[in-house]
Order: sequence, then C-alpha cells, then structure tokens
Amino acid sequence: MKKLHLQFTITIIAGLLLHSISVVGQLAPSTRKAASVRISHGPEIERVDPKYAIVRWISNNPGGDPEHFGVVHYGTDPKNLSETAKSPNRLNPGHPDTIFRVQLLKLQPRTTYYYMVDSEEANGNSDGVKSPERSFTTR
Amino acid sequence: MKSSRVIAVFAACVIIAITLISSSRRLFAQGSQATQPSSNQVYNPYPPGILPSNLNAELMRVETEVDFVEARAMARWKALKLPTISNNPPVLEDTGTEAIETLGELMNFDRTISPKKNSACASCHMPYVAFSGPIPSVNLTMVAYPGTEHFRAAKRTAQRYTYAPFFPVLQYNATQSAFFGGNFWDSRATGYQIRNPDANQAQGPPVDTLEMGNPDLACIAYKLSKAPYRSLFDAVWGADALNINFPPDTAEICATPGGAAVFGSNIFPVQLSPADRTKAENVYDHWGQSLDAYEQSVQVSAFTSKFDAYLAGNYTFTPDEAAGYKLFDGKGNCNSCHLDGRSTAPTPPPPEGNAPNGVDTGATALVTPLFTCFGSANLGLPLNPRIALYYETKPDPYGFTPNPAGFGYRDLGLGSFLRSTNGNVAPGTWASPNASWRQYAPINDGRMQTLTARNVAMTPYACTAGTEAPGPYFQKEFFHNGYIKSLKQLVHFYNTRDVYKYDVTSGHCPAGTTEKVDCWPEPEVPATKDMSVGDLMLTDQEESQLVAFLETLTDGYTQRYPNRDAFAGECMRGGSAATQGNDYLIPTPPLPPCESAVCDVSPLPTSPAP
Repeated sequence: MKKLHLQFTITIIAGLLLHSISVVGQLAPSTRKAASVRISHGPEIERVDPKYAIVRWISNNPGGDPEHFGVVHYGTDPKNLSETAKSPNRLNPGHPDTIFRVQLLKLQPRTTYYYMVDSEEANGNSDGVKSPERSFTTR
Repeated sequence: MKSSRVIAVFAACVIIAITLISSSRRLFAQGSQATQPSSNQVYNPYPPGILPSNLNAELMRVETEVDFVEARAMARWKALKLPTISNNPPVLEDTGTEAIETLGELMNFDRTISPKKNSACASCHMPYVAFSGPIPSVNLTMVAYPGTEHFRAAKRTAQRYTYAPFFPVLQYNATQSAFFGGNFWDSRATGYQIRNPDANQAQGPPVDTLEMGNPDLACIAYKLSKAPYRSLFDAVWGADALNINFPPDTAEICATPGGAAVFGSNIFPVQLSPADRTKAENVYDHWGQSLDAYEQSVQVSAFTSKFDAYLAGNYTFTPDEAAGYKLFDGKGNCNSCHLDGRSTAPTPPPPEGNAPNGVDTGATALVTPLFTCFGSANLGLPLNPRIALYYETKPDPYGFTPNPAGFGYRDLGLGSFLRSTNGNVAPGTWASPNASWRQYAPINDGRMQTLTARNVAMTPYACTAGTEAPGPYFQKEFFHNGYIKSLKQLVHFYNTRDVYKYDVTSGHCPAGTTEKVDCWPEPEVPATKDMSVGDLMLTDQEESQLVAFLETLTDGYTQRYPNRDAFAGECMRGGSAATQGNDYLIPTPPLPPCESAVCDVSPLPTSPAP
C-alpha cells in the first residue's frame, strides 16, 4: 500500500513538473538571489567619446529576475553623483558570471566624471553591489 | 404605340439612373469630393530607387506561386473526407484537425480576400522563407511589402509565421517586471479577447490600410461567403455562420481599399443589422482561428530541423555547428533571450565543478524549445531610410495619406502600443486594451518582440547556400526594420554594435569605414538600448560558427518542408555576406523632430528620440 502511495506521489509530482515545463518552459526562470554580489572585474570604461561612454564590469550572477538593469551613478562632483544611467542587461540563468554594460548619454565633452555602479532587478530592487568610485574624462 | 414605347424606355432609364445614383450615394455617403480612381492608377510618391525596378514582375511571380499553393490546398481539401459532428460539446470527428488546418491554408493563399484580388496573406509570407517576405529586391530596398493598393506599403518586415502560434496571450509579469507574449513586432496582437495572439494577429492585415486593405471586417465574411471553399467553412464553423444579409453595395465597398476618403471616418461602411454585424465579427474570429490552426500545424510549425534530430539523438553536429551551439549558450549569450530548452543548472566551473567556463552540461529540459523567451528588447538598430512609409506623405488616388509626418515618424515598438490608449493611437499600431500597462511605456520604447530563432535561415531548396553571399543565396531581411541583410551581419551586429559605434545615421559612415563591417550608425531609439549585447568579443570564425548553428534550426531536415519548393524566382550569386546589400544603402536625410503623435503622448519617452 505504501509502495502504491509512493508511486502515486511520484506520478503526481512528475505530472506537475512536466506540466510546468510545457506551460512556462519558454520563460527564463527567476533564480535564487545571490547572497552577495561582488564585482570581479572593473568597473571600467569600455569606450568614451565626447558625449558618450560605456561603463562595463563583471560580477557574479546576481540571480533574481532575468530582466535586469546595470546602473551607474555619476556626476562631475565626486561627492555628489547626482545623475543615474540605467541600461537593460538580461541575465543568463545558466551563466555563473554576468557582464554588465551601461551607456551614458548626453555627456559634456572634455569633462571629468566620477561614477559608481550597481545592478537591479526590473522592479528596482538593488543587488547591493559594493562598487569602488572611479572616474573618466570625455574626449 | 411608339410614344408609349418611348415613355417606357425613358421611365426605365430614369429608374436605372436613380438606382445608380442611390447606390453610389450609399458608398460615397461620407461626403468626400474624391472620385473613384481608374484601375491603372498607381500610388508612387517615392523618389527614384526606392521601389525596386523589377517590382511588378516580382509581384506577378509571387501571385503565380500563391495560386500554385492554393491549388495544392484545393486538392488537399477535395481529397479530405469531411468530418462528422458527434458528441456534446460537439466534436468534428476523425478529420476535424485536418479540416480546420486545410481551411486555414485555403484562406492563407486566397488573394481574392483583398479588395483588388491581388494580395493574399501569403503574398508577404511564403513558405519557402518560413512564411516571411518572398521578394529579394523588396527585401533589399523598400523593406515592407506593397499592399492591395499598389504601392502603399507599411514600415516593418514581414514576420515569420513559424511557431508564432505558440506565443501566449500578452501579459505583464509582475515578478519579472516585463511583458511576455503577444504577436506582431510590437506585441499589439495581445489575444486578450480571442485568447490567442496568433489568431488575433491574423485579423490585422486583412483590414490594414497598407496591407490587404479591406475597409471593413465584414468584407472578409462577405468574401468567404463567395469563396469556392465555403462548404468547408460551413463544415467547420457551422452551416449558418455565413448566412448574413449583405446590402447590395457590399461588393463595391469591399473592392475599395480602406482609408479611401469616400469612407470618411466610418469604420463600418458595410451597413449590417446588429445581429448580422455580430455574425460578421464571429466569422472574423473564425478567420483568425482557422489561420492559426494552419500556422500551428506541421504544415508550418514542423519541428523537423537538424536541431530537432539532434535532440532525438539522430543527428551529429558538424564541428562548426557544435562550436556554434556552445557559443550560442555561452560567450554569445544568445540563449538568455532565445531559450534553447537546456537545463538551467549547468555544471559550475572549477573549483566547484569540472566544466570550463560554466558550460551547460545539463540534460535537455524541453524537446520542443522555441528559441525565444516571448519577451521584447531594443537591440539598437539604426533608422533604415529605405522603409517605404517615410515617403508616403502625399495622398494616393483614393485620397489616403499613409504617413503625413514622413521622416518625423519614429518606431517606438512596444512602447507606442502601450501608450496608445485614451484615443491616442500612434500611427501603425492599435489601441491598447489595458490602460494599467500604460505606465510601462517609456521603459519599453524601442522594444520589439524576440522572435524564435527557428527558421531564421530558411530559404528555398534551390538556393543551396541559404541566406549568405556569395550564394547561390536568397536575399532576406532581418529584424523589424530590415536593416540587416545576412546572418553574418546579424551576428556581427550583436558582436560589434558598440565597438564600431558612430554618431551618424545610416548612409553617413566616415570615410575609411564600411557600414555594417566597422561602422554601426546610432540607434533609432538610443535610451533603452539593450546592453546585454554589442561587444561580445567573438572572433570572425566564431561569428561564422554561430551562423552555422543557426542554420541547424531550419525545418525540413527530418521531413520535407511543405511548399518550400514553390519558389519560381532566381537565387542570387556573388559578393560577400559581410557587405551583402550594401550597394543599396542610401543616405538618411536630416531627420525632423519626432512627430507629436508618437513622442508627445503621455507618459513621455524617458529620453526623446532624436
């Protein structure tokens, strides 16, 4: 009897799993949030133009929603990073690391900017990245 | 006696004249001064070179191919044993599936559905290119296909049908804070009412003024009631479905393209009783459902690619295909959006595991992966100045002006659709059925649907080199605005978009650079550009390996793909995939500000489009 119950339970669980795959199998799953998100490379300037720059860094995969945003807080005063730039960066749940890249638009030519980075889920929840402050100068 | 004859003839003439005047008044009741244009007038507001020189010949070629496939479908129908109804709820027993799929196929290749009887759904969606655009010269030039009224044309590429029926009803997923599902590039075919985005999509082109162009959905019911396959429709959807009392001027109305000034603002020019209007709308739902049945069938969405054989253990990838697959999942990051159905629990890299670089060594989780996440992204494509719509600023012979704003139009995709409520419908999109979505418009500006990667490489069997020069190849166009002309360019764009970024519009790359090789113009919608791609650091060889993998996703390997042999044109030869189509680049003119109907609608775009 116990064996029968076990078989029944396994069948139900397998059925539920198969059902969930067939119904939601095409949506990338949200994954468990990383306990902490650490930058392993960068942040650094990928390219800088007179009015445009791309900031790039690599962290461990933050997990959570695949719809993610890289965030750069920046400004010309290192004590007041008053501007924020966000760019969509889609997580790949299967990758251990994530490359974040953020574009900064409408910068001033030949101007020094200071910046720190973070990342967040599409709902605005921060990943709590500890970022060093860096700077760059537009051309 | 003679005088009475004269009086009788005179009276008859008066009656005929009154009848003619009253019937024409019904049609032209909206008070326009426009007259019916003669049949040989064409609309050509385009500067030289926008329309391809062989356009008429190619349209004729496709008409012939459409009729050829329709004849095959007719033969299939004639050979079909009609189903019998049993059960309660009713079931079309035994052959119900094939009956509705065949009905959808007959509808798809029926060009008499359009006002000028020259434009079937298939005219822009032929099977040999996975039901996308069938004319190489159009794919090289005007991007969008001419509708029933030559040469009105819209603004985006013809999306592939294949696997579109598998997209869910558009939903905002609060957990992931993103939209999933729908059909069309901007997801506007939500399926909210018919509960099927693909069927909802099929209801678009027949009444789109720039496509098949019927002025009223009732015209579809009218034309189906006259179709040679009406008995099949009756068998599937009920004998009474098409019994509608159409007014005498219906044929005349339905032979006039939508948007004609004679209709004014009347969106229901076919005058029907409320009960018959409801029946016509139900027929239009059945139209969409039948086409969806065909598109979901193995005639269209076949799962017969090399990749499917590989999943079944019946195909071994070549070294390049295998390397491309690894790149697809790894360095290329393609499967973050084009989900390939692998498990999402890869063996971790050392020291936790033994797979280098976190390679996915998990088992297959899905045997029918669709290579899409059903989501949307702004990939940062430049504005393509070849799109026909930009030039349609003058009225056509029917008094219809498709795009008065010209180059002031900007394609904000999903964003424009989401904010199209409260009477503000951006050109070319539909009103949104959900005002609560409106708040998400700015973040979705420029986003276009992530298509399945399946069949991106499908071409006619005769074009043995597929999509890529030097061929023999079939010239396709890629992404929503057709800016990309080969798969090599497509992968190179993902790989180097931000490496070779220049602050120029298309056609203005600096001397010493080559557009699409080492110069990518600025995006049409820069603020929301997806940064998951753009600098993937792939080598030239790796780009080619990714192309090799994409080619394994073409249906027709395990079984012959139906009607892929219908192509009667010529394959192309010569040139290089890297610069394919570059001879047709034209300089983007100075762009006026974004028109207010697109960019001044609340909630405003975060950063106005340039």
